[in-house]
Amino acid sequence: MIYQIFDWIDRRLPLRRAKAHCDIPCGIYDPITAQIAALTVVRIIDLMKDLEGREAVSKLDYHNSMSRYIAIKEEHAEKAKQEIRIIWGDYIKPQHLEKYPNLHEVVHKIMGLGSKVRQTTDRQIAEQFVEAINEFAQIFWETKGIATKRAKAPYAPSLELVYPVLE
Amino acid sequence: MIRLLRVRGQSLTPQIEDGDFVLALKLPIFFSIQAGELIVFRKAPYGVLIKQVEHVDEQGRVFWVRGNHPDSIDSRTFGVVRAWEVLGKVVARFSKS
Repeated sequence: MIYQIFDWIDRRLPLRRAKAHCDIPCGIYDPITAQIAALTVVRIIDLMKDLEGREAVSKLDYHNSMSRYIAIKEEHAEKAKQEIRIIWGDYIKPQHLEKYPNLHEVVHKIMGLGSKVRQTTDRQIAEQFVEAINEFAQIFWETKGIATKRAKAPYAPSLELVYPVLE
Repeated sequence: MIRLLRVRGQSLTPQIEDGDFVLALKLPIFFSIQAGELIVFRKAPYGVLIKQVEHVDEQGRVFWVRGNHPDSIDSRTFGVVRAWEVLGKVVARFSKS
């Protein structure tokens, strides 16, 4: 209630700011980049399987496309892991771990699945990768007191992602 | 003197979150700042900052401050904060959640 009153005042008569800043643009943490990277891994596996089933494609084109898919899959699996590592290392504090004691376990699961999706073309594992990052995203937004919702991504492979519900 | 300020940045999260409001108090007498307290101060060229006091000198006139984030701008960057730079210590925080 008091917060809302101050917020109302601040929007009309802006108060002085007290900066709690860092020497890099810290505070810009969002698991969505990891979620999209993991989704990309699933999409690439679909494209790889689609290419494998095609007959009217030259050997040269096949190898060209397949090598590009593999490179992208590698890159995005690693990107997803890296984004999670950044949030885990820079944002997550002991207070968060007290409240979410399984957080280390979730991160460790993401790291393992992120390696597994690079080693294989198993779609199920890639889906588990997306889901584990969703689980992380859910906790992340909860630590900020922001509600979440699950919705299908508006692009292939249209898997469910956890999104923050913003005002 | 009491001031109402809005916090911007996340170097003090989760103690103080981006967008929180704080009341900072500074009295001419019987006013002391202890380690662990949050203070608002003016520091060129950064402007008005809010940080946690890590250490106070014996006279209570010089403060070493820090943020919770490893990349926080604090005494590691700009050195100590002197009493005349302090605008007040945080006596209340108003958070959205």
